[in-house]
Formats: sequence, C-alpha cells, structure tokens
Amino acid sequence: MNFTLFVLIGFAVLLLLLLAWVLRDTSKLSKPNADLDSADTPHVAFFPQVRQALAEQDSAYLSLRGMHELSRRVRKERRKIAMAYLTCLRGDFLKLWRLARVIASMSPQVGMLQELQRMQLGLAFSLRYEMIRIKFLFGFAPLPELGSLSEVVSGLSIRLETAMKDLGERTALAAKLASSLDRRWLDTP
Amino acid sequence: MPLSVQCIWAGIILGQLSVLILLFVVRNSRKVPFFAAYIALNLCQGGFLVILASVPGIRFATYQNLAWASECVTLVAQALATTEILGITLRPYPGIWGLVWRALVATSALVVMIVTLASHFRGAAWFQLNRGYHLTFASAVIACLLLVRYYAIQVPAAFKLILGGFCLNSCVEVLINTFIQVLFHKGYEVHQAVWQILTMLSFAVALVIWVVALRKPFPVDDRRIASLTDSAYRQLSPEVNERLRELNEKLLRLWKLEARPQ
Repeated sequence: MNFTLFVLIGFAVLLLLLLAWVLRDTSKLSKPNADLDSADTPHVAFFPQVRQALAEQDSAYLSLRGMHELSRRVRKERRKIAMAYLTCLRGDFLKLWRLARVIASMSPQVGMLQELQRMQLGLAFSLRYEMIRIKFLFGFAPLPELGSLSEVVSGLSIRLETAMKDLGERTALAAKLASSLDRRWLDTP
Repeated sequence: MPLSVQCIWAGIILGQLSVLILLFVVRNSRKVPFFAAYIALNLCQGGFLVILASVPGIRFATYQNLAWASECVTLVAQALATTEILGITLRPYPGIWGLVWRALVATSALVVMIVTLASHFRGAAWFQLNRGYHLTFASAVIACLLLVRYYAIQVPAAFKLILGGFCLNSCVEVLINTFIQVLFHKGYEVHQAVWQILTMLSFAVALVIWVVALRKPFPVDDRRIASLTDSAYRQLSPEVNERLRELNEKLLRLWKLEARPQ
C-alpha cells in the first residue's frame, strides 16, 4: 500500500476517534466550581517544612552518633513525605491551571501569546515534575529542583492574581457606568 | 446511473426535504440561515443534476465537470454553515472565538499544504480535491471543538449533532476515497457506482443525525457573559461580578497563604 494513502487512512480514523471524544458529554468539565471550592489549602505553603525535612543536617547528625539504621529510615520516610508534597503541588498547579482556563473563557480577549506561554509553562511543569519524581524514586533529594518547581506554582498564582484584578477592575468600571446610567434614568422627569 | 444509486439518491432528496421542512416548521431556520441555505443548495444541486442528465447528447466528461463544479458551491456553503454554528456557540466568548477562528485558519492552511504536497493529481483531480477539502474541513472543525472542550464551553446538543454530522460525513468521505484508491488500482472512474453509493450512504447517515438534531427548537441562548447591550449587561454584570469576586478572593487567599512569613 502507498505510504501516503496509509497516512490518509490513519489520519481519517484518528479524526473520527477525536470527534467521538470531543463530542462526549462535557457537563462534568463545565463545572469549575467544584475545583475552585477545593482550592482553599494550597500545598505550596508547606515548602519550608519539606525543605527542612530534606536537609542533610538531621541524617548527618544521626550518622555521626552511629545510628546509621535510624538515619536511613528517617531519610526514607522523609523522602516519602516529599513525594506526597510533590503530588499535592501538582494538584495545586492543576487547580490553578483550570482556574486560568475559566478566567480566559470569561475574558473579552484571549491573548494568543499568554495562552501559548501558559501551555509552555504547563509543559515545563510536567517535565520538571516527572524529573523530580524519578530522582526521588532513585533515592535522591533534589531540593533545588523542588524549590524551582514551587516557584513555578507561586509565579502562576501571582500572574493569575494580576489577571483577576484586571478583570475585576474592568467589570467594576462597567457596573459603575451602568449604575450611573440608572441614576440618570431615575432623575429624568 | 444504476438503479441502486438512483434509489439511494431519491432517499437522500427525501431526507434533505425533511431536514429543510423541519428547519422551517420548528423555526430553527432563522437561527441558522446558512445551514438552511446549505440544505436548500444541496436540493438545488440535485435538481441541477437531473436537468443536466436529461440534456440530450451531453458528453460524460462535461456532465462530470459540471457536477463537480456544483459540488464546489455546496462545499463552500457547508464551510459557511459550520462557521455559523461555531460562531453562535462561541458568541458569548469573544476572546475564545478570536482564538478559534485563528485556529480554524491555521489548521486549514496547514492541512491544505500537506494535502497539496501529498497529491499527485494523476487522472482524478476532482476526487483528490474533494478528499483534500473534506480532510481540511474535518481537521479544522475538530481542532475548534478541541479548543471548545479545553475551555469547558457548553455546546448545545443540537449544534453538537449538526457539527458531528458534518465531520462524520467528511471523515467517512476521506476514508471511502482512499480505500477505493487502495482497493481498486484502476482508478476512480471505473468504480464510480461504488463510490457514489458509499458517499451517498455516509451523507444519508449525516441527514439522519441532523433530523434528530432539528426535531426540537434550538435552546434560547442565555450565556451572554460578555454581552455589551445595556439592559443585558445591567442584568448580568452583578452576577458576573459576584463570581469574579469569589474567584478573586480565593486567589488572594491562595496567595496570602503562599506568601506567609516563614
């Protein structure tokens, strides 16, 4: 079979599959409230504790006192905690990511550049997340990487805050305009 | 034309008439005039082909070229009808609509380029052009639907079905054209009857989907998030403000927690 024809058939089948997936019921996706309501406790705030837990001083002290077994166990357990923190951090990021989507859909103008940047950020986050996870699985404690990952999440929240403020100001201005129009209408004899 | 092809063709004409009648009876034609025009044009194309076939002494090549030329008109109408439905769906989201139409143009341009590079136009240029169009159309619409899904925008079920019918028909046409090219090396012209039957059947399926979509009036569009008319804005803006405030408070709380002194 000709390669081009094979590609064409594959592409058409792929399009059919995508069509079926895209036209599935999206009612679950269109309820951002559930995600927003559960965004009360961001795990980014616990980074200092995790940093403390992964610091070398404690295990070095235990090793110095000859408690090698205990030192190993402590390191292992603390790595587990860091892994759990990492998973939660990803959850935080995904929540903010969905929130950004909601903001974009409400915005009167979606900047292509911002959207691309956000996509780039998401990709970078996923890559870093996987790298750190692999490092943890192999027994390392990649503290600087974990720190920069936390910074990515914080950076996103700052940018989202700016976007929300901007949107809020715009709508407030529109509301003020509408109420002044209302008053003018009331003053009319 | 073989009898089987004629029977399916007659069935399709009936189906198109049903869709058109439904559009006017349920009064959906006002909301989707381009879609109504597309169905009407399809019917006119059917009439045109009947008249053309009854012309005495017409050459087969002339008949074929004129038939394909009339197909071009309906394909343009199909693109317009689809853009209309996407426009209606995304009207409350001007930002997303801006993004979607750019995606539509970019995807179309990309697919057209790929199809042009992949085509050799040996003997059956009309078939290849038709396949290229359907491939471009389906890719562009699915790309838009992917964006719509990404932003979690609710698309009314009727519009979903109409767009689904268009895309399904296009994807199946691409598959049919390609399979015929693969299975019958002698070329399209030799197997025109098979091609006609299969493409008409795929269109008939699309018609059934559209009849299902059009049996009820389209829902009243109350998703005017970014409406700029005074009355609508005054009614909706407090609601939107409340939601924005809620979101803002959540983000502020998030940020305050994150920036807490260590």
